[in-house]
This record gives sequence, structure tokens and C-alpha cells, in this order.
Amino acid sequence: MTSRELTIAGYLAVLAGSVALQIAAVRRPERLPSLGHVFTHVMRTRTGRVGVLVAWAWLGLHFFAK
Amino acid sequence: MTEAAHEAGDDQLTAPGRPVAITPGQAALSGLRHPLVGILLLIGLCSAISGKPLDGFLIAVVAVLLAWDAARASLRGWPAYSGADAAPAPARPGDTGSPLRVVARRRAPLLAVTAGVTAAAAYTTIVGGFSRYSWPVTIAVVALGCLMVAIAWQGPLRSRPPLTGRPLRRAWLWALLLVAGGGWELSSLLQQPHLTTDSYAHPTISALSDPVLASHPGRTIFLAGWLLLGWSLASR
Repeated sequence: MTSRELTIAGYLAVLAGSVALQIAAVRRPERLPSLGHVFTHVMRTRTGRVGVLVAWAWLGLHFFAK
Repeated sequence: MTEAAHEAGDDQLTAPGRPVAITPGQAALSGLRHPLVGILLLIGLCSAISGKPLDGFLIAVVAVLLAWDAARASLRGWPAYSGADAAPAPARPGDTGSPLRVVARRRAPLLAVTAGVTAAAAYTTIVGGFSRYSWPVTIAVVALGCLMVAIAWQGPLRSRPPLTGRPLRRAWLWALLLVAGGGWELSSLLQQPHLTTDSYAHPTISALSDPVLASHPGRTIFLAGWLLLGWSLASR
């Protein structure tokens, strides 16, 4: 396995972990929080709301803006 | 925007009392007590030194505003960063009354959704047609980002129940995944020959997405996903 393949495999592992955790959370909401519920919880304060939306805006800036 | 949303902002913006002068030192001390302010400043610094000064500047501005808000809240004795946590979901007056009024008020969200989808389709198609890192796309993305952050500052659009019990205790699993993903990306970034030069052997997510974002359809689809994610977050 080359370094490039290993790096990409790392990203895919994190993605697979996220999908697996989300599926588990949807199937057993009494045990695990879904990603949506975590965001809702974090965004209950002004800092959390603004922080999450800044992270979202940063994505757009990072990929498109000067 | 709902009453709950207004209450969230009003809690901190229109409370009674004399206007309070805040020194930069007080703002800095209050702000640094909140980890997110420090994280935002760090992200802004990293963005600036990696060749994205505009990103860095805008993020630093938001961090300073949050620090100032924290200082103002603590000086007035408010619970810092309180939101509309306990605010109940507002009743929908349109659900009662004459049948014609009910129909009219139920059509309003449908019209709003249709207008929103049309505007989003126009935005993604037009902005996706611009070259990356050009001034037109920069202005379009910065304007939308500022608008959404301003909406976030006002408060949640609707109230939702908080996480409690076992789900709350296991939220760290998501944090672990976020840290793992961020750490992997940072590791790739630091293994580049230079912060602004991609590495084939250790590609960042940005480098991997470059072929997709090189085409108009690719940029349009990416922007549509970005908008959808933004709306999903802002509506919480």
C-alpha cells in the first residue's frame, strides 16, 4: 500500500466510522446520539450556534474563496 | 424567525440596565474563558499563514465578537451565552381559526420552501460557473457565510429537546471521530512540501476534491451540498 492509498484509507475509515455511528444512533436512539442531535445540543448556546455556522462558512471559504 | 429565536437574542441584547463600556482587556479575559474563542483564533491564524488571509480575518472577527459578547454578558450578570434553551416551541396560531385562514397559512411555508429552493438552485448554478478563488465567487461565498452567521447570532429558529442521560454521555464518540478526521487531515497538511503546495503522497481533502471542483457541474453539486448543510444547521 502506497502512502497515498494509506492516506485516503484513513479518510475513508473516519467516514465509515461516522456512517456506522449514525446508523447505530438511528437504530438505538436511547443509547447513542445521532449527529443531528449532537449539533442541536451544541447549538443551544450562542457560542455553539455561531461556532458551528462559522465552521460551515469556513468550508465554503476554504474551497472557493481567495 | 420564531419567538424563541428572538428571545435568544433578546436575552443578551435588550436586557434592562445602563450601557456597559467594555475594555479590550475585559473582552479578552472573558473570551479566553470560552474554548471556542481560542479555537476560532487558532483556525484564523492557521488559515492566514497557509495563504488564506481573508478566511483568517473573518474568523478572527467572529472570535472577537464572541469574546466581546461574553464580556458584556458577564459584566451585566447574565448567564453567559445563554440561548433559548428552555423556551417552548411557539404555538402556531394558523392552526386555529377559519378554514380559509388555515389553508392560507399552510400555503405560506410551501411558498417559502419553493422560493428558497429556486434561489438555492440559481445561487449554485451561477456561483458554480465562476472560477474558484476568483473575486465573484469570493464575494458570493463571503456574503452568504456572513448572512448565515448573523442568523446564528440571533438564536435558534425552533426549540428542540436537549440531549440527556446516556446519549449525552456518549456524545464524545462523535468528538473522537471529529478529532481523528481533523488530526489525519492536519497530518497530511504538515507532510506537504509547503503549506500551500499539495503532496501527491499525502493528499489533503482539499487536494482530493480539486478534480471534482475543476468543473462547473462539480462546483454546482458541491455548493448545493454546502447550502443544504448550512440550512440544516441554521434551522436547528
